[in-house]
Amino acid sequence: MIAVGLIGLLLGVMIASVALDIPLPEEWAAYLSLAALAGLDTAFGGWRAALEGRFHPDVFVSGFIVNALLAALLAYLGDRIGVDLFLAAVVTLGGRMFLNLSLIRRYYLNQIALRRQRG
Amino acid sequence: MSDNKLKQMTVFFAIWLVVGLLVGMAFKEQTRIRTAELPSARLPDLARAYVQEKRSNAALEEEIRQLRQRINELENAFASGTKQAQVLNQSLQEAKMIAGLLEVEGPGIELTLQDSKKRPSGDSPELLPELYTIHDYDLLRVVNELRQAGAEAISINGQRIVSTTGIRCTGPVVFVNDVKMASPFVILAIGDPKTLVGALEMPGGALADLKSVDPKMVQIRRLDTVRIPAFSGSTQFRYARPVTLEGGTEP
Repeated sequence: MIAVGLIGLLLGVMIASVALDIPLPEEWAAYLSLAALAGLDTAFGGWRAALEGRFHPDVFVSGFIVNALLAALLAYLGDRIGVDLFLAAVVTLGGRMFLNLSLIRRYYLNQIALRRQRG
Repeated sequence: MSDNKLKQMTVFFAIWLVVGLLVGMAFKEQTRIRTAELPSARLPDLARAYVQEKRSNAALEEEIRQLRQRINELENAFASGTKQAQVLNQSLQEAKMIAGLLEVEGPGIELTLQDSKKRPSGDSPELLPELYTIHDYDLLRVVNELRQAGAEAISINGQRIVSTTGIRCTGPVVFVNDVKMASPFVILAIGDPKTLVGALEMPGGALADLKSVDPKMVQIRRLDTVRIPAFSGSTQFRYARPVTLEGGTEP
């Protein structure tokens, strides 16, 4: 399952950098980056959920869409009212990604430890 | 169960794919912006860059001047050869004279146009502040009038007026030959001083409006010798090519 995800990620990056050439207005670049960050967060969350055996596709998909949109929307609103609201999204999403990654790391360390005990 | 697992796998793959797309696009976009941006958009840096650019511009102009001089010397050396070459060189010098590529001197006038120091008083709507400043159209009318009166060479603040010269206001400055300038404008013209002054001072002519607002905006001097510099801009033609008749007119 994880391998499938990583293949998807690689494929996506490759498609974006080789085939896709959508000229976006420069003002959108920040929102795009933020949406990408939100997407990464959700993807790591999904990975962790999959490891813990409580992966639900509907939660995963809705979380992805809502988080990405909300992050972009926050950034836009922040631009309009002169507050760097995107920082809130960056801090929250970034923090959660670190948390999820550390849990994922621990899960694999536990797996290795278990295998050693058995072997 | 296995069906469910497959569905999960598909969703997982799809989301990671989209995330990958987003990341890739964001990466590309940022790279594009970074390469397209100025080295730094901060004002002090821009100011420094501007000064440097201006300096190198001046140096390059000096280089153009020197190269043109060298061309002249070479042409003269060439002309001292055969009779045919002399004739060729003579017609070349004439063409350069017409094109404004030679520094010239002769009798003429010096016309100074400057913004009025007066400010509109009262609140009549005709007393617009625009009337008190020199605009591109004032310069254009003067240049046109001088040419009509037989001026053989004209310059504005040291910029020779040639066939490709543009005169245009951009904000508070006027561009002449792509060189920025502001009031006062010193316009030199070579020609019969009497005719030139007469043309400029014609009632209802190019200067009448300015004089009616503030006579101090206009100053004319007749001079025995006026020295007008050569055109120092680019003489490269990027689009126009001479038409050759050979081959094109055969039946």
